Amino acid sequence: MNTCCTPTDTRRDTRVAENESPAVKPRYFVDGTTEAYEVRVELPGVGKDGVSIDLDENLLTLRAKRKPSAPAEWKPLHRELSDLDYLLRLRLNTQVDEAKMSATLADGVLTLRLPVKEAAKPRRIEVQ
Amino acid sequence: MKLTRFSPANLARVSDFDEWFRHPFSGLPSLSQFFGALPDMFNGTGAGRLAADIHEDKDNYFVRCEVPGVKKEDVKVELNNQLLTVSVEKKEKTDDGEQSYAFTRSVSVPDGVKGDTIAAKLEDGVLTVTLPKAEHRKPKTIEVA
Repeated sequence: MNTCCTPTDTRRDTRVAENESPAVKPRYFVDGTTEAYEVRVELPGVGKDGVSIDLDENLLTLRAKRKPSAPAEWKPLHRELSDLDYLLRLRLNTQVDEAKMSATLADGVLTLRLPVKEAAKPRRIEVQ
Repeated sequence: MKLTRFSPANLARVSDFDEWFRHPFSGLPSLSQFFGALPDMFNGTGAGRLAADIHEDKDNYFVRCEVPGVKKEDVKVELNNQLLTVSVEKKEKTDDGEQSYAFTRSVSVPDGVKGDTIAAKLEDGVLTVTLPKAEHRKPKTIEVA
């Protein structure tokens, strides 16, 4: 789970592919045990229905859409925050049990639990 | 999972930001350009400073900050002498250690804001502070004695 293949220059409006909208790479943290990996992704301003997670072979793609940052009648006086959506791509180097994957979003942080497949867990082999 | 050892040459890695944040030289201008590759949350802000958006509508001013993973109890909003200060302090305990961080941001508030009715709301990691404008600053007549 060490490979991130989101384009590295996140400041510019990076068009990942022709048909994809510009996005920024969110901050993320990975913790892991032999049982499961836990990925925490910071997604401030994203509602529960704005997140989509796909696992295609070993490529985990997370897209998150921000809720409209401010109602139209608000007049911006000073802006520092980004309006762009989030995109994070991680290449997994461990087999993950897709059926048991889970994700929760709380306080703008998405916690993704990726249980390691039985076959990929460390095993002890008895000597006969 | 491979563990990658932290090396200063690897400045663009976002996950190492916390270390750099506490780096004694992080405030130096020559180093600050290295932070270019960091996420927008820190754009235009110095170390420890929260990024903020300011909006207004007919009745209110709005100050918004992104504070992902922060609970209501960890946020402090103060108005002191026309200066609105938002501070966030958080401690995280894990099995093998503890990490903490603190961010703060001060915004000077224009005249004519009703200080006693300021409201703050935390939703999906975004803090919105609403500063209602005063009805009218009524002109005062001073009697000549």
